[in-house]
Amino acid sequence: MPNNLPEIIEQVKLSLGAFVPEISLSALFLLVITLDMVLNEKRVVIPMVSLVGFVITGFFTWQQLDMPNQEYFLRMHVVDPFAVFFKFLFLGAGALAVLITMDSEELGEKNVANIGEYYAVLIAMVLGMFLMASASDMLMMFLALELVSISSYILTGYLKHQIKSSEASLKYIIYGAVSSGLMVYGMSLIYGLTGQTNIYEIAKFISANEVDEVTLTLAALLVMGGFGYKIGAVPFHFWSPDVYEGAPTPVTAFLSVGSKAAGFAMLIRFFKVAIPAEPTGELAFDWVNFFALIALVSMLLGNFAAIWQSNVKRMLAYSSIAHAGYLLLGVLVADDLGTQAVMFYLAAYTVMTVGAFYVVILIANKIGSDDVNDYRGLGKRMPLTAAALTVFLVSLTGLPPTVGFIGKYMIFTALLGKGTVFLTLAIIGVLTSAVSLYYYFKIPLNMYLRESEDGAETPMESSAFANALAAFLMILTIGFGLFFTPLANFAKNSVIMLVMN
Amino acid sequence: MPEIGLNHFLVLSAILFSLGLFGIMTRRNAVVVLMGVELILNAANLNLVAFSKFNGTMSGVMFSMFGIILAAAEAAVALAIVLNIYARFKTVDIGEIDTMRE
Amino acid sequence: METVSFILFSFLGALVMVGSIGTVWSRNPVTSALFLVLNFFALGGIYLLLEAQFIAVVQVIVYAGAIMVLFLFTIMLLNLDDEQALKEKFDLQKGFGILLGGVLLVEVLYILGLKINLPQKSTTLTPVEIGEAKNIGRELITNFLFPFEIVSILLLLAVVGAIVLAKKNFSPNT
Repeated sequence: MPNNLPEIIEQVKLSLGAFVPEISLSALFLLVITLDMVLNEKRVVIPMVSLVGFVITGFFTWQQLDMPNQEYFLRMHVVDPFAVFFKFLFLGAGALAVLITMDSEELGEKNVANIGEYYAVLIAMVLGMFLMASASDMLMMFLALELVSISSYILTGYLKHQIKSSEASLKYIIYGAVSSGLMVYGMSLIYGLTGQTNIYEIAKFISANEVDEVTLTLAALLVMGGFGYKIGAVPFHFWSPDVYEGAPTPVTAFLSVGSKAAGFAMLIRFFKVAIPAEPTGELAFDWVNFFALIALVSMLLGNFAAIWQSNVKRMLAYSSIAHAGYLLLGVLVADDLGTQAVMFYLAAYTVMTVGAFYVVILIANKIGSDDVNDYRGLGKRMPLTAAALTVFLVSLTGLPPTVGFIGKYMIFTALLGKGTVFLTLAIIGVLTSAVSLYYYFKIPLNMYLRESEDGAETPMESSAFANALAAFLMILTIGFGLFFTPLANFAKNSVIMLVMN
Repeated sequence: MPEIGLNHFLVLSAILFSLGLFGIMTRRNAVVVLMGVELILNAANLNLVAFSKFNGTMSGVMFSMFGIILAAAEAAVALAIVLNIYARFKTVDIGEIDTMRE
Repeated sequence: METVSFILFSFLGALVMVGSIGTVWSRNPVTSALFLVLNFFALGGIYLLLEAQFIAVVQVIVYAGAIMVLFLFTIMLLNLDDEQALKEKFDLQKGFGILLGGVLLVEVLYILGLKINLPQKSTTLTPVEIGEAKNIGRELITNFLFPFEIVSILLLLAVVGAIVLAKKNFSPNT
């Protein structure tokens, strides 16, 4: 670290150029808070402002593609293709979340008097995710994670007059506070072992010196507690069914894609950089086997518990636990192929999950229920919506010709040829996907093959905007499934992560 | 009299940590559970400050300062949620706040 | 000198333990909160022993001053007269199991604590200088400028969030 002042000022000036997207998001956050105070009519203006802000931020992020891979802000913040890929993903998820919020009755005028702060908090959450993807210091990881967590607690409890939403936010904050406490304790142990908080310095220290193995394992497990809670993998998943069910559906959609992707970005960076997989033979903490175990249990528990759920949001919560398991399979391969597969899968997961939740919102707007038994006969009453939901579910199961199939295919092929353990995991992954077929298809079954109890057949189509958005997501799901090369190449070019020696 | 070394502080922090964890696991009053979280954060801070002193770098002290700030922010939001929960459920017993299980 | 610091450490350490045991053990949340204040003050003393004066002061001001007031306010707002709201059953069996786990954890950490060998000192700062407000302030606007700025956003977010969640008459229905 430089110690004389002119050098530091020079560094900060240089770093500001690498921080434009985040500055633009911060400005947007402040702008939305201000607009919320001065405007009377907020329901259209503020989401529009947010979308425009996201587009502008996207432009600045795009400019970062050409920037040199480097650490900025005195080794706190890193800009590399890996981070830029995730920033695009977060912006996309954020923009979709804004769009689907606009169309949600749950957060509509009848239920929520003031929606301005909702968008402000959403923007702060996107900012936190940006920082999570770029953090190269344990302190920044902690701060960014807390920024995302605190915003998600607020959003989860936003429908505060509703019992479910309040309960979800309480559970979320208790689990979240505990796991971030565990994570900080783990980080303090790592700092004690290495005397560093920067992940590159930690890596350097671990490979050059002998560190106490047991303590490092314990510390890494504790840190994994914080990360695991963000990605929603077993055994840190207890919050997710209740939070997914209780939170307003747009928030659920954003949590399940955005914070999961951010958690994976940080997890991959931390474990790949700070605790590299195979340095010089003797590795202090064998995280690969540990991840294998977590992935295995997540896939099994997520898929089998989902079978018994009748609330669609709760079912998707368990399915998201299972997806965290599939994604961890890609992480534990620890090579570029695996990371590329994870990135592709996260992009695919974003499209199909937001789509599925959007359709759930549209249906709930009409029938006022998230229960799968109330979906009976919807195939006739809302043909386009039902078709879209079926496509998203096909994709979540991982069947062709959808993007979900390509994602799963990439993850499982990354596991091949690496040894029996990996092969076994891949086989279990395929088998549990077959299990998921069972519960996902309960929904189309109800929609198409069963009549509704009251025999209602009046069509209830949603607005043109809603149909257009659902169709757009549906086209993306199938389109990326057929023409996946551009996205796969983008992911391939983005696996370059700053690794210093 | 033995000299006070790093280990004394680490042991104290380990005790704080496990007591905090114990409180979180056993208590059902949401406010007391949050107090347990504060204990864990304090244990981490104590670790950081102790390590910082004994290895001569500033990062630990700085980290613990940010930790204190975050604890304050998190407590503010958490207690707002608890107040809201009390308005809905007329209780803060997390065992009874369980309407969604099937 | 060593004797004095040992006695001080033992005394403050005992207070920390009493405070934290009282926090997790006492049935009444107000008692818990007051024990927690004791714990925070004693920890402030421990920080002084570690020659981290600034952190000690911040600990007392922020934790014992701000956070605890927040906790006490909440407990009072929860209407303490309403015994039903604050009563809780103490699950002894579960508690015993976890106590066992806790003791185990202490043991593990104790053993680990004995084994941690510290990395070499990398700076010329003396312990006293590390804890000084002057140095912390300088670090805050140089090496830690970035987290410092991010924390400002985080605090603003927490303020907005706490107001949104705790404000009354938020929904048109209620």
